Amino acid sequence: MKIYDRVLDGLPGEKTLLLGNEAIARGFVEAAGGVAATYPGTPSSEVGDTLSEIAARGGFYFEISVNEKVALEVAYSAAISGIRSFAFMKHVGLNVAADALMSTAYSGVRAGMVVMTADDPSMFSSQNEQDNRHYAELSHLPMIEPSTPQEAKDYLIRAFEISEKLAMPVLFRTTTRVSHMRAPVVMGPKEDRLALMGTYPGHLAHVTLPSYSIKSRKALSMRISHAEVISQQTDLNRLEVYGDGEYGFITSGSAYNSLVDVIKSNSIGAEVLKVGMSNPIPENRIASFLMSHEYMFVVEELDPYLEQKVRVIAQREGIPALIHGKLDGTFPEEYEYSADVIEKALAAPLKLNIKPRTAPAVLQQIPPRPPALCPGCPHRATYYAVKRAVRMSGLNNVTYSSDIGCYSLGAYEPFEMADVLLEMGSSLGAGSGLGKLTDSRVVAFVGDSTFFHAGIPALINAVRTGSRMTLVVMDNSTTAMTGQQTNPGLAYDGMGNPSAQMSIEEIIRSTGVGSLETADPYDLKTFLPAVLRSLKSEGVSAVVARRECAILRDREIRKKGQMPVYVVDTKKCALCMNCVTNFSCPAIDIKGGQIAIDPDLCDGCGVCAEPMVCPFRAIVSGERNGI
Amino acid sequence: MEYNIIIAGVGGQGVVTLGSLIAEATMDAGLNVVMSEIHGLSQRGGSVSVDVRIGDVRSPITPDGSANLIIGLEGMEGFRMLGKANADTLLLVNSRRMTPVYLGIRGKEYPDLKEMAKAVGGTVRILFIDGENLAREAGSERAAGTALLGAALAMHEIPVSENNVNSALSRRFSGKILALNHKALDLGMRYGAQLLKGSNVPVPTGKP
Repeated sequence: MKIYDRVLDGLPGEKTLLLGNEAIARGFVEAAGGVAATYPGTPSSEVGDTLSEIAARGGFYFEISVNEKVALEVAYSAAISGIRSFAFMKHVGLNVAADALMSTAYSGVRAGMVVMTADDPSMFSSQNEQDNRHYAELSHLPMIEPSTPQEAKDYLIRAFEISEKLAMPVLFRTTTRVSHMRAPVVMGPKEDRLALMGTYPGHLAHVTLPSYSIKSRKALSMRISHAEVISQQTDLNRLEVYGDGEYGFITSGSAYNSLVDVIKSNSIGAEVLKVGMSNPIPENRIASFLMSHEYMFVVEELDPYLEQKVRVIAQREGIPALIHGKLDGTFPEEYEYSADVIEKALAAPLKLNIKPRTAPAVLQQIPPRPPALCPGCPHRATYYAVKRAVRMSGLNNVTYSSDIGCYSLGAYEPFEMADVLLEMGSSLGAGSGLGKLTDSRVVAFVGDSTFFHAGIPALINAVRTGSRMTLVVMDNSTTAMTGQQTNPGLAYDGMGNPSAQMSIEEIIRSTGVGSLETADPYDLKTFLPAVLRSLKSEGVSAVVARRECAILRDREIRKKGQMPVYVVDTKKCALCMNCVTNFSCPAIDIKGGQIAIDPDLCDGCGVCAEPMVCPFRAIVSGERNGI
Repeated sequence: MEYNIIIAGVGGQGVVTLGSLIAEATMDAGLNVVMSEIHGLSQRGGSVSVDVRIGDVRSPITPDGSANLIIGLEGMEGFRMLGKANADTLLLVNSRRMTPVYLGIRGKEYPDLKEMAKAVGGTVRILFIDGENLAREAGSERAAGTALLGAALAMHEIPVSENNVNSALSRRFSGKILALNHKALDLGMRYGAQLLKGSNVPVPTGKP
């Protein structure tokens, strides 16, 4: 049975190895959720990948929305219509959805609604490591935080229940190490599935005009006091005792896992209060916990969120416990907490006997392997051609404004074609300003999914303000970086059903850009002139670089049983090195002083064989096993 | 009991698949297991590693110096994990070499890993195994990871059995792919056993 089927069909009591995100999808199934909506983003994407596969058979609705804000609004619309709903996204995705989120607390919901934020301490695949627990305080919404895949599944169901008790959405926060942790999960029973059709939300029932909000503000305070009672009583907040329980620890999320490993391996006598409901926190329980320990350690990743609250409680109640956390410098403020980090921080205050470790010197000899565009990636051809076109056009001050997607890797060698990159859609927004307010011409790179997500309003802005910008839409017909999800440019939806397909060209044309071209970056001899023409245009111009993602193309080619490959004819190769230094496909390297193409990596795109990359025509089509 | 395995390689090599396979086999053996995956920025071509932690542990991150076994599906990626190794760690280095574009851009070639192993000295047990060849013998290079796992099973005290791995394979694959993975595991185990017998091959204990 495939893992997706196990998520849907697994029987109660069955133990299955699940990724945290797969466990969350199972939690949604067990909670008989009716509607799920997302915009993909690491480390949250596998929740959607799983739900996408099982939605039709599971009898619920799943959509990949145009962006996180719309995903949250769709889930909200379901919840006010009486359907249990789930919106999920990465941490920075909640910034996009924050405007909607803030008002949902005032509006309230009729059925359970859970909003998941997947935070990314240490920024494995994100532009920052913002701590989204602050959103719980800001919005006055309760927050639940699991530490393991099992808890991720179980707590999601609890989050739905709490949401229904309080008639307000509940935030559900994971981090990379929880979402991307794989561990055995015991399946639970599935609740009875209700009808999917929502009912009328009610006359004037969810309006947030000032005259309405001024009244719902009081109701919100009532809900929060109710939530505080839940937090005092719930077993989501639990106490664990190790040894003689001498030292007190307050912890949550992924830090809990590392902390327990450190407590056990160093035989520390500890009482651990694990906070699974981090807004509102169980204040009375924390107060009595503080009173029973002379030394208290608050162990949490990112900001001193719990620590500040704990210190406030200690001050208010006059409890003399010595509190150690980030604010007194015991623990670092940045990055994720591995057991190593926690052990190091506790070594001095607890007098731990830790063997000093030095990294082996040989590590410094190992060359780095920064993330690279895949062999056959059309973005490589696009960057190669645009770089050359900019040089040929004689423009001497160009600013590259880039965006979020695989093509962000254009910031790395050998292209280094990103001067500015903030967030989803920033290529066009920052580009609009830079092309208006500086004397440089802006070249903006945006992917198809990102263009739909947040690019369109910024494009309108750029055209309206007369910015000088060439927009390159790198349309690879998928949302590639997060794992090939659909987007509005494609003719199928998140459940694989046929859907309306948006035309990027029609949208761009309607804004009134100076010029618009579509070209295939694999064909450098037509693509490069298109970029050149676009660079010469006044105001905003656009080139749609259209060629499907190499991973999608591979799948198609493999199905047909063909896999062309290119080889180097060493007799013709003049060792100019252009292919390795300027084109830099992972399949091409130098072996024994010769250029070689790795047949297992070569994707057969053939771009390196074009004279613009290999002027000596030394790269030729060959067979898998030699010329 | 605690046993930590790290699988390292390059995106697209099946690092996560091999890690999940071991984790499933561990679950079958009735032991606790946690595994970490880092899905980085690139779909293919970047460094990828997973930790499979077996026994009485909670965090999926292996502490520095605590790996019992490191399998490098790609040569230098195995070496990159040396910070997690100690004197009893077994590092199995596959024959696959993938040159980072970083080197090509600088006109440089892939480093000599045998030299690097000498530089490590006797502080970690490093064995080079032609997993690609073993897997090719079984039917496809794609099963190199399974072959290396077989070698590791024969050489180190991984707390899972051949049967555990074979049944985990049966759940994951079917038909021809399953058959060749069974064979790759077997060939790997035989090869590992031979290496153990060889007088110049140090016998790793697997005990931390």
